[in-house]
Amino acid sequence: MPGLLTNSGDSSSIVPYSPTTTTPTVYTLHHGLTSPITPRLSISWSRGNSLRVTVFRSPETASNSGDDEAGGKVVDLKLSGEDFDSEISDAARWRRIAYGSVAPFAHLQNKKNAMAALAELRHSVSYDGEWSKYVLEYSKQISSLLGSKKSSPPSLIEDPKTVLKFEEPSSLKAAWELLEIFYADKQSHPWIPEQLVDWLSDYDALFSGQVPSVHLRLVEFQAELINMQAVENEPAYWQAISSALAVGWLDIVVKLLRLHGSYQLNQLGVRETENGLVEAVAVLASKMPRMRVDLPSGKLGECYNNKSDFMRAWEKWRAQITKLDCSAFWLQCNHNQTKENLKNLLQLLLGNTSTLSSATCHWVELYIAHFLYIRPFTSGLESMYVLAQKCIQLKPVSTHHKLMRLILGILEENTEVVLAECSRSFGPWMIAHATELLTAGSVEAEILLKEERDNLGGISIEESHRLVYAQVLSSHALTWQIAPIYLISCVKHGVGLLEILLYKQPAYHSQVLLKNIEICRMYDLDSVSSNAMKIAGVHHWKHGRKGAGVFWLQQAGDETRLNRIAQKLFDFVGKSISDESFEQWEGLIELLGSESRTAGGLEFLHKYRDFKKSLQQVQDGVSIDAARTAVEALILLMKNPSTPQRFWLPLMYDSLKLLNWQERPLLNVSQTNLLLNKLQELSVARLRPDFVEVALPPEASSSVRVALATNLGRAILEE
Amino acid sequence: MEPDPQTLAQFHILPQPTYVDSLRFLPPLSAFDRHIAVASFNSDTSTPTLSLNSITPPTPTTPPTLTPQSSFTPSSRITSLKTTQTPQQNPLIAASTATGSVHILFPNSVDGSFESEVSVPDNVLHLGRVTCLDLLESGLECVSVGEDGRVNVISVGDSGLDYRRVVDGKGLVSYSAVRWASPVEFATGGLGNCVQWWDLRRGGTPVSQFKGNWAQGATSGIIHSIDIHSSRKHTCLAGGSNGNVFAWDLRRPQQPIVLSGVDNGETATCISESDVWEVQYDTFMSASDHAKLSSKGVLPAMICSEDGMLAVIKQGEEPTELLAENCAINCFDIDRHNPSDVICGLEWESIAFLTRT
Repeated sequence: MPGLLTNSGDSSSIVPYSPTTTTPTVYTLHHGLTSPITPRLSISWSRGNSLRVTVFRSPETASNSGDDEAGGKVVDLKLSGEDFDSEISDAARWRRIAYGSVAPFAHLQNKKNAMAALAELRHSVSYDGEWSKYVLEYSKQISSLLGSKKSSPPSLIEDPKTVLKFEEPSSLKAAWELLEIFYADKQSHPWIPEQLVDWLSDYDALFSGQVPSVHLRLVEFQAELINMQAVENEPAYWQAISSALAVGWLDIVVKLLRLHGSYQLNQLGVRETENGLVEAVAVLASKMPRMRVDLPSGKLGECYNNKSDFMRAWEKWRAQITKLDCSAFWLQCNHNQTKENLKNLLQLLLGNTSTLSSATCHWVELYIAHFLYIRPFTSGLESMYVLAQKCIQLKPVSTHHKLMRLILGILEENTEVVLAECSRSFGPWMIAHATELLTAGSVEAEILLKEERDNLGGISIEESHRLVYAQVLSSHALTWQIAPIYLISCVKHGVGLLEILLYKQPAYHSQVLLKNIEICRMYDLDSVSSNAMKIAGVHHWKHGRKGAGVFWLQQAGDETRLNRIAQKLFDFVGKSISDESFEQWEGLIELLGSESRTAGGLEFLHKYRDFKKSLQQVQDGVSIDAARTAVEALILLMKNPSTPQRFWLPLMYDSLKLLNWQERPLLNVSQTNLLLNKLQELSVARLRPDFVEVALPPEASSSVRVALATNLGRAILEE
Repeated sequence: MEPDPQTLAQFHILPQPTYVDSLRFLPPLSAFDRHIAVASFNSDTSTPTLSLNSITPPTPTTPPTLTPQSSFTPSSRITSLKTTQTPQQNPLIAASTATGSVHILFPNSVDGSFESEVSVPDNVLHLGRVTCLDLLESGLECVSVGEDGRVNVISVGDSGLDYRRVVDGKGLVSYSAVRWASPVEFATGGLGNCVQWWDLRRGGTPVSQFKGNWAQGATSGIIHSIDIHSSRKHTCLAGGSNGNVFAWDLRRPQQPIVLSGVDNGETATCISESDVWEVQYDTFMSASDHAKLSSKGVLPAMICSEDGMLAVIKQGEEPTELLAENCAINCFDIDRHNPSDVICGLEWESIAFLTRT
């Protein structure tokens, strides 16, 4: 337990620690090392939520038990926490939302930057109208991602007893749509009440888990419906109708009313008046004037998009209701329950507060009922908030559902509450994406979100939420690639964190490296990508993939390491090496040589390689031609100024066989003189303090000298 | 981006619960069934899977559906997946893994289950990652290449798998792509845009090679994929880093024909600047395309790239974009028996199915 100090009550404790916490869960770690191990552990954070545990064996046991066992093991532990929203616990579904929101978000940011640039150019404020169009487009795209409104194909034979279609709405989508209604969809502001009616009809089911709701009542009623003989005798039937009517689900109301027993052919004659009354209520309900542009198919009502037209129709409609209410037909209706309940429905339509209150289940439903039947013109957040408070008083709840809290925050015009609610109930994804809607909603919200704050380390709330979301994305192997899009939109810390993110990726994994390079290319992070290439290069090199190692170091332009590799190659000079390592050595010279700008000594190495090759042939079989080629290569090397002085003696010592060639002298007089001069130069150089002695047998110098002298004599004789 | 209705008749994205590493069409097992093999990786549980799915083609009203029929768990993540395409015989699926093993699977032609599986375990053929393998059309031999610089030929026989090493680069080279040209010849691609031609009759050194440093001074790249058309065995189609796609003609080994990419300001168009993950000759051609084909030109090629492109490149013409996605397209396959249909594996855990007009 890191950070836990012995005196927890002491002022020296960094993290407040309460000893009352439950005992920690113990997991067994399978590291695969054979016991006994004296565990030496190193624990560090790996990518995302993974913990990297390195288990070392103690050096003694490691040395005792043969070489085939590893000296330790690195285990990556994935820690999976609770998902922030139980609804999106399905990780794959959540990732799909994350993937899908990338394009709309990036598109909106591009638009924003373009507009800001344009505004700067013209020294004017950006065009609000145009901007809100983009925000709405963005909002719609995100919303469609959260789940489609399932328009199930209309079945040809509709079951008359199916009142409600079951769908599973998501509260994430419900919350997003609320934000859209209030902040993004400026065009439709005059129709907010009707939009809320639609919203509730889509999402009332979400409240069911916590509080009773009309939706739940209808679901229960539908289950009972199959067993009912004469529905009009059942209180549940009338309750279902009045509830559906109160929240404006007129299609359901009409459908239910037509289940009334008086519609049955054998009853029609006896219950003619009763049937007429039922039908009259159904028609009145279906003709209700609605203050909106249009209605989705299947929904009932008559639309008016103009306030005065609506007002006239509304008055006329209410007059019709009142007229029906006072009609004499009621006296002729013999079915008492029908009479009473129909009258109750009329009261609902007329906006009787207590009737509405008893027909609805929770305050949001009552609130919607008020919009529909009492105050269709409610506008302005302040008056909407007052109305909401009134409804809460009439229908109090012990704890508000998260969507209720969100509605209240919005109506209160309290951006902080809305933010807190988004963050608490819907997680980092929601808040990172919803800030775009909030800032589009009002200037105050924009100031609040974009103001740089000292308590956040100098960044704005908006940026901090984006950074948090980027962290969430970074913690998964499949989503880290999209985190850069969010980071790059963060002015203060974005680039810095992006660099850290890229550094944290395992660059030795070739696919990750290529992804890394691609991201760096997009955001001009050349130094980051070259560092990743260096890491990859060194990793490949260490694991024996010398080709890949050199390739990546060359890509990174890492002269230092390439030179060091070249220097290592010099170590072979003058040593006898096996065929296999010669092959390796030769291959490396090839690799390094393919890039001309590296290591100046390579020219020497190439020549040395040629020399060494012919020398090897000499050793394999005694061929005079091979020996001659070797001599030529030797002379070429010795003449070349790029041949380092320290290799002169080893080269000559290597070629002793050539100098002492049995059949005839291989070097002519001038060639021998050249070598003798070099030898002389060396003995002078030996006097200098910076001279480095080569590791050769002590007699090397003298045996070369003797061989050269002999050769000179033989060469003179021959010439 | 919405795909262009001019080029695509159908376009569907099928979300998958796992990352798609590779996918291939199988030849029709029977008249009505179509199957695809999908190599996927679940990063939450770190399990790789090779599954055989039957695919129901889309109708105007319904999207296509993939139904998993059987699955196999290889020893580690699949790096390369190939299938034989001869319709008369039972198909073969070959897969290589990140830990050096190679698996050969025999799907049952009746119910789409895996009849049997033979494999060479980890670290026998290759040390570490097998980057690519290719299966001979006869299904008898399979060539594999790896980061370790080894090239192996695996024989698929009745008694199991047998292999021989063509060359061991001992880490001095790393290969990243391989493709058969004939039962005795194949081409490999690797680091530094290098393409080599091998002839098994001529031992363990490449017969011809091309060091692709035409973008002198600029960063070099990696060949990710090679294709060779059976009618033009002397030309390799290669695609790799920096959007490079070129045709390498053995008869003119020092002058590759650049089809796309940065070419010292030369004429070739550049469809993408990021990695080209896969190249395949496009077998879907209209009659006018056939007429235009000269015997000299390079056949049309389909490519997919890191920046989300799926496109067809024809020599000397503007490339045709089929898809421009927001995420990388990691792999694709053209249905050999129904070449208008293409499937691709998208980075964002999904498979795209498209039908061309």
